[in-house]
Amino acid sequence: MNNVIECKNLTHYYGKKLVYENLNFNVREGSILGLLGKNGAGKTTTINILHGFLQPREGECLIYGENTQELSPQTKSRIGFLIEGHVQYAFMDIHQIEKFYSGFYPNWNREPYWELMSKLKVDPNQKISSMSCGQRSQVALGLILAQEPDLLILDDFSMGLDPGYRRLFIDYLRSYAKSENKTIFATSHIVQDMERLIDDVLIMDYNRVLAHSPIDKFMTGFKQFSFKLGDTSVDLAKEEFVVNLERVNKDVELYTYESEEFVKGFLDKSGIPYENFSAVPMGLEDAFIGLTGKY
Amino acid sequence: MIKSIVYKEWIKTRWFLLILTILGLLAVGNIFLKVQHYITFNEAHNYWYLVLFQNQQYFKGLRFIPLVIGLGIALVQYIPEITNKRIKLTFHLPVNENRALLMMLAYGVVVLLLCYALLIIMFTLLSQHFFGAEIVRAALISVFPWFLAGMAAYFLTALVVMEAIWKYRIAYFLAASAFILFFFERGMAGAYAPLNWKLALLTLLVSLSMTFSAYRFRKGEM
Repeated sequence: MNNVIECKNLTHYYGKKLVYENLNFNVREGSILGLLGKNGAGKTTTINILHGFLQPREGECLIYGENTQELSPQTKSRIGFLIEGHVQYAFMDIHQIEKFYSGFYPNWNREPYWELMSKLKVDPNQKISSMSCGQRSQVALGLILAQEPDLLILDDFSMGLDPGYRRLFIDYLRSYAKSENKTIFATSHIVQDMERLIDDVLIMDYNRVLAHSPIDKFMTGFKQFSFKLGDTSVDLAKEEFVVNLERVNKDVELYTYESEEFVKGFLDKSGIPYENFSAVPMGLEDAFIGLTGKY
Repeated sequence: MIKSIVYKEWIKTRWFLLILTILGLLAVGNIFLKVQHYITFNEAHNYWYLVLFQNQQYFKGLRFIPLVIGLGIALVQYIPEITNKRIKLTFHLPVNENRALLMMLAYGVVVLLLCYALLIIMFTLLSQHFFGAEIVRAALISVFPWFLAGMAAYFLTALVVMEAIWKYRIAYFLAASAFILFFFERGMAGAYAPLNWKLALLTLLVSLSMTFSAYRFRKGEM
């Protein structure tokens, strides 16, 4: 399967502060990749590089084989960009903005746009600036869908949306992407939204990639175990198989890619007393926090 | 594609363009109301004497009108683009970024030229109604730099507004203000004749300056 996005050896600094070094990732054609990371982990930097608004210190990102700094109009016509905050031309109304964009895209399909607009209770002449955040998100999404892009790059798509609009946005997007074999690269601060949307996950922390795999593989491979330690002087955090460990007195939350049998075996073999051992089911948000830590 | 860009610029500017043009026409009308008033109460030959020999510049009310119009159109056209970094939307369009910017700039230039042409035609016709050809010619030479100032103000305001970093924005603003002062040296009516082509050249030189701010934005200076 072809890669739509290829980022190779990305290194970037802000002044002397390293954002990341030698970051590599790809997005497969027809897949939906979610980029997750805490604030300051480099999500916005990556998005800006993909948007062509930032030249990395080293390395490059290619979209359909073209460097994102120099995308041709033909390639740009295949990409739908959603800017953080669903920014659009707020001085226009929904008719004006549809008329404006339709002049740029040869395959403009107004149907999905007007289908979404019909769900909004807005006056046809109402300026976008006077719409709610949720309504604006639907306008921005509708415009992207009408472009009929092959690739959608969505920056913090759930920002400012209430739960209903978030669900509408995600469900509409996923069904559209899957039925039309579209590729999506998305970031969001609301991790549980991603769970319903993405096929692949890329989790970044300061200066490094913590996980990059299909979401199913990640969710089945990454585990949380909780137990009570009999001996509080034991330091499990330094063990190689422990990805992260949160401990309050005797209560331990241990995150690992190893199996329950492996962890129990390790504790037994090392003579570490424990009780109430259980595997804790995790959602993506739990796994994200487990992987990146609470702080 | 061109139609779409013109459409967007038109939506942003239409009401302000109309208001600024009406204000400009009213300002021109006001100049000649005063001329009419003076002639009515002091005889035409006395007023002509003042205009010809005492450097009475009947047209001085026009001094800052083109500047205000140029400034206003640039603000109305470019502030919405930089608000929420909306210019990113233009850069994502399937069109060469510089081409898109130049089309926006060309729109501004065309509407300003149309607006200025209207003011100059009205000014010329009314001047001809009250004064002889020599006075009208000198007046037109004198007002020409003010219209150039309006055009330069449009270009430089675009440069300042499109710059995303405040310290550069302030530096550009100060430099632009000093530059604009060149167009407002005082002198006898018609005294600017030998300078006008140089001022026109200067205006042309700053015409594309906005693309520099946009280039910086595209390279991550935002």
